[in-house]
Amino acid sequence: MNPSILLVLLWLCLGAHSAFATPLEEANQLFKSADFAGAAAAYETILDQDGPRASVYFNLGNSYQSLEKYGPAILAYERALFLSPRDPDLLANLALARKAVAVVEDTAIHPCLDAVVRYLSRNEWSWIVAGAAMFLGGLGLACGIVKLPRKFAISAAALAALVLMFSAGVLYLRKGESSHGVVLSKNAAVRLSPFEKAESLGTAGQGRVVRMGAKRGNFQYVEVPGSSLQGWLDAKDIAAISQEIQ
Amino acid sequence: MVTLMHHFTKCFAAVVVLTSVCAAAEIQSRLDRESVPAGNGAILTIRIEGRADQPVIPPVPNLIVNSRGQSTQMQMVNGMTSVSTTYTYAVGSNMPGDYIIPAIEATVGGQKVATQPLKLKVLDSGAAQPPAGIAPTPPGMPQPSVEEEQDTGEKRFGFLTVELADSERSHVYVGEIAPVRIRAWLPADSRANLRSGIQPEAKAFTLHNVSGQPQQTQEMRDGKRYLVVTWFGGISATKAGKFPASLSVNATVAVRDSAAPQQPRRKMGGPFDDPFFDSVFDQMNIPMIQKDVTLKSDDQEIEVRPLPTEGRPAGFTGAVGEFKLDRAEISNDWKTGEPQQITAQLSGSGNFALMNAPALTPADAWKTYPGKDQFSASDQASFSGSKLFQFSAVPRKSGSQDVSLAFSYFDPAKEAYETINSPVKKIQVTGQDLVEVEAAAAPVVKEPEKKLAGLVGQHMELSRTGSLVPLVARPEFVRMLVLSGALALLGSVLAGLRTYRSNPQRLASVALEKATRNALDAAGKSAAAGDVAGYFAAARLALQQQLGGLWNQPAQAITLAEVQARIAEDSPVACFFREADLYEYSRQGTGEILPRWRTLFDEAMASFNPPTR
Repeated sequence: MNPSILLVLLWLCLGAHSAFATPLEEANQLFKSADFAGAAAAYETILDQDGPRASVYFNLGNSYQSLEKYGPAILAYERALFLSPRDPDLLANLALARKAVAVVEDTAIHPCLDAVVRYLSRNEWSWIVAGAAMFLGGLGLACGIVKLPRKFAISAAALAALVLMFSAGVLYLRKGESSHGVVLSKNAAVRLSPFEKAESLGTAGQGRVVRMGAKRGNFQYVEVPGSSLQGWLDAKDIAAISQEIQ
Repeated sequence: MVTLMHHFTKCFAAVVVLTSVCAAAEIQSRLDRESVPAGNGAILTIRIEGRADQPVIPPVPNLIVNSRGQSTQMQMVNGMTSVSTTYTYAVGSNMPGDYIIPAIEATVGGQKVATQPLKLKVLDSGAAQPPAGIAPTPPGMPQPSVEEEQDTGEKRFGFLTVELADSERSHVYVGEIAPVRIRAWLPADSRANLRSGIQPEAKAFTLHNVSGQPQQTQEMRDGKRYLVVTWFGGISATKAGKFPASLSVNATVAVRDSAAPQQPRRKMGGPFDDPFFDSVFDQMNIPMIQKDVTLKSDDQEIEVRPLPTEGRPAGFTGAVGEFKLDRAEISNDWKTGEPQQITAQLSGSGNFALMNAPALTPADAWKTYPGKDQFSASDQASFSGSKLFQFSAVPRKSGSQDVSLAFSYFDPAKEAYETINSPVKKIQVTGQDLVEVEAAAAPVVKEPEKKLAGLVGQHMELSRTGSLVPLVARPEFVRMLVLSGALALLGSVLAGLRTYRSNPQRLASVALEKATRNALDAAGKSAAAGDVAGYFAAARLALQQQLGGLWNQPAQAITLAEVQARIAEDSPVACFFREADLYEYSRQGTGEILPRWRTLFDEAMASFNPPTR
């Protein structure tokens, strides 16, 4: 075979490979070549186009952490954790980012119970509540249509009710998380009033998870859990973890 | 008879009163003087004898007429009752000239009456003219002093005062939250409703922690009694200089209108006719006027001094007040690069909002991070209290170290900086000294394959797309719960229906009705065929089934003995059973169904179905 034809074929194969590389592969390639800013932008593009994915948020968090932007990194990890709460890689990198900015998250409830409550994401607990409710409804319908064994029906209903109540209780305990946000900037000042020149009450701390309140203009009211610090933070210095509040 | 006389007397008296009231119809008008200076007014009094509506004064160009109230008097002399109403007006003008107040008409008891026209001369006073629409000062009243002019202005509704709680001080320092006492002075007999909180008028000062529950007292000031509402709070300034500490509050205040004419009090012949009570009752007679006002403080200047630069400690972060360190908790064992939590508590009085955590010393051996804090106020205005700090620190140097917490503040009372230190604690730090990243001044070179220590690498596979909105916050969640509830409800309905349909009592009742109906049909057929034995057998079976249903026994078990044991012997059922047995045992029948058997059987069957109303 003519060597030039071989070269053309080889070039076509490489080109085709490059042309068919997925956006994730391209972003990962940027990360591998230490272009963390480019990788972060590429991951953000994937998220904008495809919607939330735990793996992309994880990679995005790694990119920001490599850039030592711990606030955005923790935000990305928190969002990944929202989607995939038991990923050990994710938990490890999140702990690393928190350690870098000395953020210690409070456990509002007992540590043992906290481990159980956080084993699943709020979305998963919601599905369990909905599933248990649907099962109870279906069981009720089945009991109406056919005569099920009494013991079986009562046991199944009791079990489903127990699961439903426990899951609903967990959702109640974690209801405050719907307003959680992450402080993105290192020296984000919490101000007394929603104005740029208002008195600064202190800094919230980069990567700190805070409770978000009302928004007024370019300022967001925040409460820092575990402290008396509460006030107005520039909206560009904070982002919500979930999309329940916009 | 006595009652009749009593009623007659009442009616007569009423007629007399009405007649006498209606009979007197008269109107009089009077000016208390013929001339007034421009800008002042005369008092016009219109007195109407009898019942009438308020008269209308015809408009006169440039003549200002303002109502000053009305009073009604009723008198009974020798059984004759007279009613008179006096209307009072202030009349004047800003334009000098001769004015004629036209005849004023009124309708009294259907009769039109009118006053005589009155003349009023308005003289050129050369004095400042009040604005149109404002009632001129009535004559005969003393000219208002400067103080009284204030009294008739906004200040008559009250005012605010602001003073530093520490009366010995006339200045504050930049950054200091100085406690202040804010007092609203309201006239003692007024009614006030605050429509806003205390607000600073000027931008130089910021108001902090105004007490939510103000105190109320009665106090005398410049010879007048006031209702004083007192708040406590703090003010702070961010720049030095002399600034007015102006505050305001919006309120709706109702005060007595001292400008209204006072009618002489009628003496009723009682103990309250004593002149001692005149001032009390006259005060009660004065009408009230209500106004939405903004109570303001005078622009009292407060000097704001800058914090001295001389002797300022390196660790000073802006705390102004008087503080002490209550608690310092530092762990004994540390490792370089590993953060641990340090707890400290400061108490005292001052600007806790701007207070930072105490610093670890020696500072170069540590790296600290912002932590959390909790303030516990010990007074209403949150001026004094304690603040607990919990923050993380990372040791940079290994080995045995003496550490302590240091906190610097400016004491405005001593006008000097103070530094408080916790007791020195000896700690042990393991590990290796941390190298300062900042110290490496080498140019930044992008290194390929840079990887943070411990960072788990990228995920190569795309995970499935999720949602950052949990199901519980989506409308589908509610729909699913509603659907499950609906399914459970449908199941309950179906189960209930199934239970009803398979109820054995209902089924037995239906079977009994059917068997009884069959027996009755058989009895009817036997009767038609003249089969007496068949008739009795079928009829008795129908009765047995009815009784079996009632007594929860098999129909065949119901015999005459059972029937006689349970029900009266002369009852139709017992009688029919006897007839049936008699026929069966004796066979004396003629082959025809006797009418009395039919009647007896019908009565027996009817006894099972009580007649419905």
